[in-house]
Amino acid sequence: MIDQGIKSRPQYEPLRPDPAGKRHLLLVAEPTERPDAFLAAELDVETWIVVPRDAEGVAGIPLPGQGGPRRFRSPRQMLDCLAPRLAQERMGLRLYATGREDFLWEIDGIARRAGMGKGEIQLAHAGSHARRIFCVHCRTYNEGVTTTIVRCGGCGAHLFVRDHFSRRLSAFMGVKVDAETPGDVPPAEQAYR
Amino acid sequence: MIITGSLPARVAGIDSISPTLKRFRFEPDGPAEFPTAAPGAHVLVTLRGPERVWKNAYSLVTPPEERGHYAIIVRRVEPSRGGSHFLHDVLRSGDRVELSAPASLFPIASLARKHILIGGGIGITPFLSYLPVLKARGAVFELHQFCAISEAETFRGLLGTDDPRVHVHGTGGRPVFEPILADQPLGTHVYTCGPEGLMRAVAETAKGLGWPANAVHQESFAGAAGGRPFIVHLARSGQTILVEESQTLLEALEGAGIEAPCLCRGGACGVCLLPVLDGEPEHRDHVLSEQERAEGKIIATCLSRAKSDRLTLDY
Repeated sequence: MIDQGIKSRPQYEPLRPDPAGKRHLLLVAEPTERPDAFLAAELDVETWIVVPRDAEGVAGIPLPGQGGPRRFRSPRQMLDCLAPRLAQERMGLRLYATGREDFLWEIDGIARRAGMGKGEIQLAHAGSHARRIFCVHCRTYNEGVTTTIVRCGGCGAHLFVRDHFSRRLSAFMGVKVDAETPGDVPPAEQAYR
Repeated sequence: MIITGSLPARVAGIDSISPTLKRFRFEPDGPAEFPTAAPGAHVLVTLRGPERVWKNAYSLVTPPEERGHYAIIVRRVEPSRGGSHFLHDVLRSGDRVELSAPASLFPIASLARKHILIGGGIGITPFLSYLPVLKARGAVFELHQFCAISEAETFRGLLGTDDPRVHVHGTGGRPVFEPILADQPLGTHVYTCGPEGLMRAVAETAKGLGWPANAVHQESFAGAAGGRPFIVHLARSGQTILVEESQTLLEALEGAGIEAPCLCRGGACGVCLLPVLDGEPEHRDHVLSEQERAEGKIIATCLSRAKSDRLTLDY
């Protein structure tokens, strides 16, 4: 049930510093992740990192950037700061992001609305595989889903979690599992961590 | 979808813009209107001279929605392979010509946030159809036209002098693009049309400033330069045709009455590619990969020639 044969899902590769860029902005949403390739590269890199208040021991993570990385309390706070930052940017920037899939494609959307395109953005998955599920019936986002079937927080429908990922919505699609036979809801299995 | 078949037309007017530039206006020869064109589109103009036929690609300079007439601007070049001389010296108002349906290999990037257009000399022509579209869309753009000092007034006349976004640079030396391309906002795209050297310099400057390749667009109307004559043998039909010094392989095929495939006639689109069975091609196109060039199994007939005396095509 996990592999539903959907080929359109994004594939990720480790972040690689692109020496063709003149300035580099590295967004790290998972504080355990260390983009090692950036430490060795002699590039003008600015790093943003999410450091939750309750995090322990992350202060020692070496990350590139003059004056150290800029710290954020949550991925949301980082996302909110990105659009104003990119509005000031000039051609020559490369943007790199590592974090959960729902974070990555929100970054991608913000970057594309700022005019960036393929060749200027790199995304790498890190951390939990828990899914953000978009209910196709009531359009509610259900965050952090780890099961094959989930009850929608908006309309209460039992949603089957498809492998169909929307880059635009940065979410997996959830469709009513008992649409044909109301009430026939198979048991949910833990599928994503 | 690309419309096939030709558009019958008549020369409706010829204006002299400068000693070497003329504008040709074509109207439909019949009741039908011309199809609308995309900004940056070109047409192939078939010219029937007394001894040979040319099919040359020219950018439309009319606004894309204009259906009542098309216009092109042509420079009389020295040395010419004959097409521009025929247009300038022989073609008269009222003459019949055949036009292809307009095709665009040089579209405006719809997702760009800002557009920088850089023309060199007569390479300004595709941008003349960009301008009304960019203005109507309220797009952010700059146009920089580079030309010889002696021609600056001519191009100012074509482009107008009232729009502060339009700049004509009359220059004696090698133009420098860094001041134009440095410090541009994210999402800027640059478009160039003009001599190879100018387009290469723009592309290299952009790359050096960290621009990604997909933000750099070129219109390649590489003039076919001619070269050593050679013989082409068509394996399927058994025909043997001489490709003369001032003729392209494609023109030689057309001269023999063969409807060979083509679209841009500038080595950019790849429509004219034909398989090579024997002989060594001299590649001059922008389409084939390094590996395809090295293998020599395929040739872009609109520009490329032969290193060997004889070339056999599977056609």
